Amino acid sequence: MDGLFHVSSSPHVRSKDTSASIMFDVAIALVPATIFGIWRFGLYSALILLVAIGFAILSEYMFERLTGQKITIADGSALVTGLLLGLNLPATVPLWIPALGSAFAILFVKQFFGGLGQNFMNPALGARCFLLISFTGLMGNFNVDGVSGATPLAILKSGGNIDVAASFLGMTNGTIGEVSALALIIGGIYLLVRKVITWHIPVIYVCSFAIFEALFAGHGADPRFLLAEIFSGGLMLGAIFMATDYVSCPITKNGKIVYAVLLGVLTGILRTLGPSAEGVSYAIILCNIMVPLIERVTMPKAFGYEKNALQGRQKISMKLYKPAAALVGITAIAGLLLGVVYELTKGPIADAELKAKAAAYAAVCPQASEFEAAQELDEYTASITAADGSVADGQFGRVVYDGNYAGLDENGNVVGYVVNVTTKEGFGGEISISVGMDTEGKTTGLAFLTINETAGLGMNATKESFYTQYVDKQVEEFTLVKGAASADNEISAMSGASVTSQAVTNAVNAALYAVQGLSE
Amino acid sequence: MKLATFRGGVHPDDGKSLAKDCPIQVLLPGNELVFPLSQHIGAPAVPVVKKKDTVLMGQRIAEAGGFVSANIVSSVSGVVKNIEPRLTVSGVKVNSIIIENDGNYTPVEGLGAKRDLDSMSKQEILTAVKDAGIVGLGGAGFPTHVKLSPKDPDAIDYIIVNGAECEPYLTADYRLMIEQPEKLVGGLKAMLKLFDNAKGVIAIENNKPDAIASVQKAAAGEERIEVRPLKTKYPQGAERNLIFAVTGRKINSTKLPADAGCIVDNVDTVVSTYMAVAESTPLMRRIFTATGEGIEKPANYEVKIGMSFAEIAEASGGLKEGTTKIIAGGPMMGMAMSSLDVPVGKTNSALLALLKDEAAEYEETACINCGRCVDVCPSRLVPKMMMDAAERFDKESFIALNGMECYECGSCTYACPAKRPLTQGFKQMRQAVMADRRKKK
Repeated sequence: MDGLFHVSSSPHVRSKDTSASIMFDVAIALVPATIFGIWRFGLYSALILLVAIGFAILSEYMFERLTGQKITIADGSALVTGLLLGLNLPATVPLWIPALGSAFAILFVKQFFGGLGQNFMNPALGARCFLLISFTGLMGNFNVDGVSGATPLAILKSGGNIDVAASFLGMTNGTIGEVSALALIIGGIYLLVRKVITWHIPVIYVCSFAIFEALFAGHGADPRFLLAEIFSGGLMLGAIFMATDYVSCPITKNGKIVYAVLLGVLTGILRTLGPSAEGVSYAIILCNIMVPLIERVTMPKAFGYEKNALQGRQKISMKLYKPAAALVGITAIAGLLLGVVYELTKGPIADAELKAKAAAYAAVCPQASEFEAAQELDEYTASITAADGSVADGQFGRVVYDGNYAGLDENGNVVGYVVNVTTKEGFGGEISISVGMDTEGKTTGLAFLTINETAGLGMNATKESFYTQYVDKQVEEFTLVKGAASADNEISAMSGASVTSQAVTNAVNAALYAVQGLSE
Repeated sequence: MKLATFRGGVHPDDGKSLAKDCPIQVLLPGNELVFPLSQHIGAPAVPVVKKKDTVLMGQRIAEAGGFVSANIVSSVSGVVKNIEPRLTVSGVKVNSIIIENDGNYTPVEGLGAKRDLDSMSKQEILTAVKDAGIVGLGGAGFPTHVKLSPKDPDAIDYIIVNGAECEPYLTADYRLMIEQPEKLVGGLKAMLKLFDNAKGVIAIENNKPDAIASVQKAAAGEERIEVRPLKTKYPQGAERNLIFAVTGRKINSTKLPADAGCIVDNVDTVVSTYMAVAESTPLMRRIFTATGEGIEKPANYEVKIGMSFAEIAEASGGLKEGTTKIIAGGPMMGMAMSSLDVPVGKTNSALLALLKDEAAEYEETACINCGRCVDVCPSRLVPKMMMDAAERFDKESFIALNGMECYECGSCTYACPAKRPLTQGFKQMRQAVMADRRKKK
């Protein structure tokens, strides 16, 4: 033997996986979603992805070059960041958006914190949230040629129904990479098979989100609604590819479980209560920030330091049953109590609501003495409501019809209508209004059923000085003006509450549209 | 039944097919044999011969130097050439007795005399083991007679024979279980005689079905002995994991197996015990695998303790051109050597020659926090954080992260995609912390 033998400390063998091979596995797993997105939204979306990837790699190269560090673009992590960011953009954005986003992701979120492995949040999501805040309009524009309509989550949020199967396959609207749950799941299975990720984060994330939605989103355990929420929007992309990002998720196994549960709850909160229909991106970056804390409280106990470690298997498993049983017990009792309270109060609440409504109808349609369901009008409003929940092509904003009633005189003749409309565009959430009209569509009265606007501003809508502007007018459509109204069809907007004024006006117009359309 | 196992671990390429089907051949040594005085854990042995003394095969040449220490026996007959420091596998020079082999293998009186196990008392068995200089032949080298003398012998309810042989490439224990299962069972019976409440479990990984069958056959009819298949996974044969797999009990670094009612011994240790007790033959030989892609003709041998690695390599056709690394032991925990001119000690079970040094092949990259080290750690540690502490040489954090529970199995380093030298960092930290602790005493 010429030459010397290598001497080094054990072990002397290494697995074949490298950081780069893992990154390329992630990129491969994103291929189905990428191809689907390009097919769905057109070649321009491919251009967006290329710019995002290109600028991610370029930013990394430039930064490392300028700071005299080792060039690490070959490890594939910039590629994955760029691709993920691109997949999180709508297919309508101008090309400077992916360029700016990728540069932000690589420079501000990753390199400034020390490069690969040191970033405290997912770079692609950090950049997406930066873009969402800075360029809300551009980032919310989903009107691509050939793909029309609101995103499924927006439809769900405004109370509409969506086709779950279409959402699962991806025949809906959204960002380039998020639409097809199927393509994303195929990628997820590839990652599981390649052992790049474990099932824990995606599955627990989706489950805890579904449980939260079932409990608090107001639809109960309706599987159609839950599946629609799960397969729509960024949840699949987030759960499979973003939440599992190694660098920004906890390293401990229990930490991953806690993290996934938090993600589900936070996404639920943001989607249900937040102003936007989406919540995945913010949920993930917020949880990213909590990772050090999660790791701290979930440090595993070293082998052999458990209580009764010397005693063998049985006793340890007994120990685990107790808290688990206690948890299940507490949950069951709490659930039962909630159910009982609900059952007991259901009747009285419904009665009270009915009375309030009847009184409101009488107030807005004084010429009638009795009310009954207006079948013809119901059919008509249904005919102008699209499958996705939008009314009359969305010209009144996010408005839905909540039931129509015909007002009868003493002889049983129809003398007017009451149309209930709800707009989702109030400043503080939904506003429900009963609009009374005669058979020709002349307004006879108006009452608020639900309104939660800002006191002193939007809440002034309930004052006579504002809402009587709508009453006793025979017009086709009301128009909002600043300052005093000069014509019958003009409504003087409330100062400091233009959102509320517009929402109410749209809702009243929707009601007029229904009755006038019927009489034509 | 679910296979007994532990949580964590890795599945490296096992490389066992190279030597697995090679029957054990007896290999005779050359002219010079080297017996380092430290071939075990504990105090070095003290020579009882001096330069130019004539020794016989089986004669004691050094005596246990303390309670935790072991005798050393000459494996050949000949003349003591010198007592001087010699290079050992660990890369350091250790004071050693050098014996010139006369080639006659003249035995001391009584060597090989058959004894009836049934008529022997507990004390006689213990004395035989102690005199024979038997230590843990799996690699740790803990003196066996000390292990067999726990404080409370009645509290021992398991004697576990470690037949896992989870290190890749190694096949010595496997061959021994196939070829001499009756000696294995005999040795276990001798040990069981010492512990009235104990049950013997021979634990074997399920990638060796013929070894399981062979031992099962030899143990047929033995009420106190059970053969237990284990899931094939590295490091299944690590003492703590093996105890957990067999009994569900968990010990940490501050405990001894006896605290969990267990005594764990390697296959060759148990066979050597049988030979010492029933055949009056002290520890002079061991079963040894010469293997790896760099060995011309991989083989399993019965070698004389004290002969050199170079002689074994030669008997196996030599090293192939391009061999970059030679290792005493397996690829996961074995020691890389700079030279073949070192003696086979009691705890050296293999010569592994590799053409490729994977450790040098990959470049270290940034940790991406993937958590594989956490998943594979059998001690349930967080190697990533321990390594961050080791890089800062932050002993306090290292201890707080239970770094001292690491037994350097190497699983994390094997699994790490960033190719961080985790185990290496931990070795250094552990040594530093242990040195500090000794200073405080």
